[in-house]
Amino acid sequence: MLKVEHLSKTYPNGTQALYDVSFQVEDGEFLAVIGLSGSGKSTLLRCINRLIEPTAGQVVWNAIDITAAPTSELRNIRRQIGMIFQQFNLVKRSPVMTNVLSGRLGYISPYQSLFNYFSPEDRRRALANLEQVGLSEKAYVRADSLSGGQQQRVGIARALMQEPKLILADEPVASLDPVLAHSILKYLEQLNKERGITVLCSLHFLDLVHRYATRAIALKDGKLVFQGLPKEIDDAQFKAIYGQEAERVSIV
Amino acid sequence: MNSSSSNSSRAIFAAFLSLLIPGAGQWYLKSRWRGITIFGATITLAFLINWGLDNFKIGQIVAGGVTTSWLWIVFVLFAAWNIFDAYRMARGEPSFTGLGVAGAAVILYTLAWNVTDINLDRLITRLPDAAKVARNLVQPDLFFQDDAGAWHPSENFGDIFGRVEDQPAPEWLTRWGLVAEDQKVPAYAAGKLIETIAMGLLATLLSTILALPISFFAAHNIMARLPGGTIIYYVMRTILNVVRAVDTVIWGLLVIVWIGLGSFAGVIALTIHSVAALGKLYSEEIEHIDPGPIEAVTASGANLFQVIRYAVFPQIIPPFLAYTLLRWDINMRMATVVGFVAGGGIGFFVLETIRKGGYEQYAAALWAIAVVIIIVDYISAKWRERILIGETKVSVAAPKPFYKSPRAIAYAILGIIGLVYCWDVTRIDLRTLFEPAPTFVRLLYDFVTIDLTPDIVEIVVKQMIITIFQALLATTLGALLALPFSFLAARNLTGRSRLSVWIYYLTRFVFDVLRSIEALLYVAIFAFWVGIGAFAGTLALAVTTFALIGKLYADAIENIDMGPMEAVMSTGATRLQAIVYAILPQIIPPFVSYSIYQWDINVRMATIIGFAGGGGVGLLLSTYFGMLQYHKAGTVVALIVIVVALMDFASAKIRERMV
Repeated sequence: MLKVEHLSKTYPNGTQALYDVSFQVEDGEFLAVIGLSGSGKSTLLRCINRLIEPTAGQVVWNAIDITAAPTSELRNIRRQIGMIFQQFNLVKRSPVMTNVLSGRLGYISPYQSLFNYFSPEDRRRALANLEQVGLSEKAYVRADSLSGGQQQRVGIARALMQEPKLILADEPVASLDPVLAHSILKYLEQLNKERGITVLCSLHFLDLVHRYATRAIALKDGKLVFQGLPKEIDDAQFKAIYGQEAERVSIV
Repeated sequence: MNSSSSNSSRAIFAAFLSLLIPGAGQWYLKSRWRGITIFGATITLAFLINWGLDNFKIGQIVAGGVTTSWLWIVFVLFAAWNIFDAYRMARGEPSFTGLGVAGAAVILYTLAWNVTDINLDRLITRLPDAAKVARNLVQPDLFFQDDAGAWHPSENFGDIFGRVEDQPAPEWLTRWGLVAEDQKVPAYAAGKLIETIAMGLLATLLSTILALPISFFAAHNIMARLPGGTIIYYVMRTILNVVRAVDTVIWGLLVIVWIGLGSFAGVIALTIHSVAALGKLYSEEIEHIDPGPIEAVTASGANLFQVIRYAVFPQIIPPFLAYTLLRWDINMRMATVVGFVAGGGIGFFVLETIRKGGYEQYAAALWAIAVVIIIVDYISAKWRERILIGETKVSVAAPKPFYKSPRAIAYAILGIIGLVYCWDVTRIDLRTLFEPAPTFVRLLYDFVTIDLTPDIVEIVVKQMIITIFQALLATTLGALLALPFSFLAARNLTGRSRLSVWIYYLTRFVFDVLRSIEALLYVAIFAFWVGIGAFAGTLALAVTTFALIGKLYADAIENIDMGPMEAVMSTGATRLQAIVYAILPQIIPPFVSYSIYQWDINVRMATIIGFAGGGGVGLLLSTYFGMLQYHKAGTVVALIVIVVALMDFASAKIRERMV
């Protein structure tokens, strides 16, 4: 179980990105995080694995206080939390295989990995994960020769190398067209249902939230303004989250 | 009514401000850069007119018993334009920038023409001499015909490319008993050109190794994470800029005091300049890496070393390699001239042929350099293209590791042999680096306590101004000549007829050959033609400018959008009309930008052409060095650093604002 308690983040330039956010995620949930651009979704996800240091509050995961973990322990926590990014964040000039293997770095000795040495077992695992996302024949091509949807699947395979118990997905489909969006989210749903991996996923479109999420939270200007089932987001809720001007649109 | 009266009173106020202080009105109207530029230009022009009158009596007229320069009249017109400009700007009317630029140009070119000793009639009167040089240039001393009519490589050919001759046997041959103790064996003795190639290769390798760690200290995004890192960043960047501002050839002067004459000194001089240039390029590349992969690898639980290894290195290695290849090209070019002062490689050979008046040998060296540099230029460009675009070929199998691929092993062995050979040919002796000559300590001391007595400063400033004017004239001359030719060298405009394709290849070839030889090496031709001095140097610079800028222009034309051309042609316009209306508006900004950039480069080049008798600050520098007056030489170097850094900054700013 992931517990976020009174989490706040103020950036050095004075922007307050999160303001006293508290919520809980049970194991095995698919939690959607919604809100406008700039509402604090990315900051929230990055505070959970401390890519961004929160200013105040706690993140407790399975009785471990992540916010209080020293650097050495943080590495052990991070390797159990996979992360997927809007811009995929692949090293574009490296082969797909190296990108996938880099998800294993938290498990292996830094000195071995300096010489690009990965155990045969890790290599087998990488190929299996690429197989899982349907890209096994692309293992040795450069990452930038893939399409956007394929790159995001490499991103998922990289996260799977960590054998994660939790996946943080930051707008994983915002850079993709609608058809690809569904294919990526189906992979995440599959991992969530078949492997029981908890998923926290920030999303733009409400119909995607309805279709994939088991529960949703909403941020507005850094504050938590909604938590509940996706179907509970009615028109009044919608206007509260997205503002009075907003209109419901749907994709595909 | 009200607004228009306040508008016109505002205009009068702005004009009044500009009357008091040139540019102040523009500044007041929120055109800060325009204001500063006008203010700076006014002061500079006034100083230069006065300086020209004092030193060269430029534009001198006597009116009513007062001796003055007619350039002051132009200056007054310029100041009047500045007031008018402020007035027009405040009223929101378009002002005539061209008028102001024209006024400044009249003053600058009048001064430039006079101080650089332009003497056009000499071009004609001494044409027979030029014809003699020209004949030698097309008859380089490379081969000779014996009585039987067979061709043989000449003595000079051996000097340049090397020859096979009997030499004392190397130690390992005698030790293994293969030859007797004092027996001579035929061996290849490297020529000056081979030595030059080795110098360029070694300097590139050494500077890459040294620039790698330095670049991290000069990258803002890395240093900002460390305590006190920002200060280190600024210190590093300043050092890199100062070292870069001093030309390789001038570094050669300093290095020979340190370790003595020879190709080793050349390698060190090349390396010093190259480290600074590469360090700057590398650190800018580090500053522009994509933070995404760093975030992703950090999120997977990797530590700092793993992040650098898997998220930073893969991103920077290809562009670093590309920059190294670019630098290799530049180092090879500089290696051909560094010998002028450092005493090694083909540069030294050229210097000797000039001294002996052996223009056929000199011509042979130029042709040999041209061939090598054209090849290097081609290889470097091809490899850079391949690295940056990259191979995206699909391979199903995992690539073999390096040590299992026979081809990679063969390349590695060849590389090591090449390295050892280069090391040997350039007579690298690292120990001498730590045993500097006693005068070197004095040189360091004198460079800290440079001579700032007014007499010396005045002499140095005078030569520096001449140098800048040489660069200005050479850029203008070269660019004007290059303009028509660049259209002939642009594939998209030349058309498809057989004749125009030939013209295209011929023009490109002429550009490539001319630009493969450094201005310093051309000076001898023009010194012979029009006499030693600033005029010869200016002409030499103009030749390289013509070739460099011609290629840049042609590339710019090839990169334009052909859509507008098609549209204008479809209206029934002629080819010429289409060029005027569809092509010119697209190419004027890059052309102006390249010309300013070229002036910047030419100022650097102009600081060294004096070593070959091309006038300017270089002659002064070599004189001071020759007389061991290091504290005066220090003044020259300090001024060069300031001027080159200012030019660099100004040209970057102007080009930035043009895009």
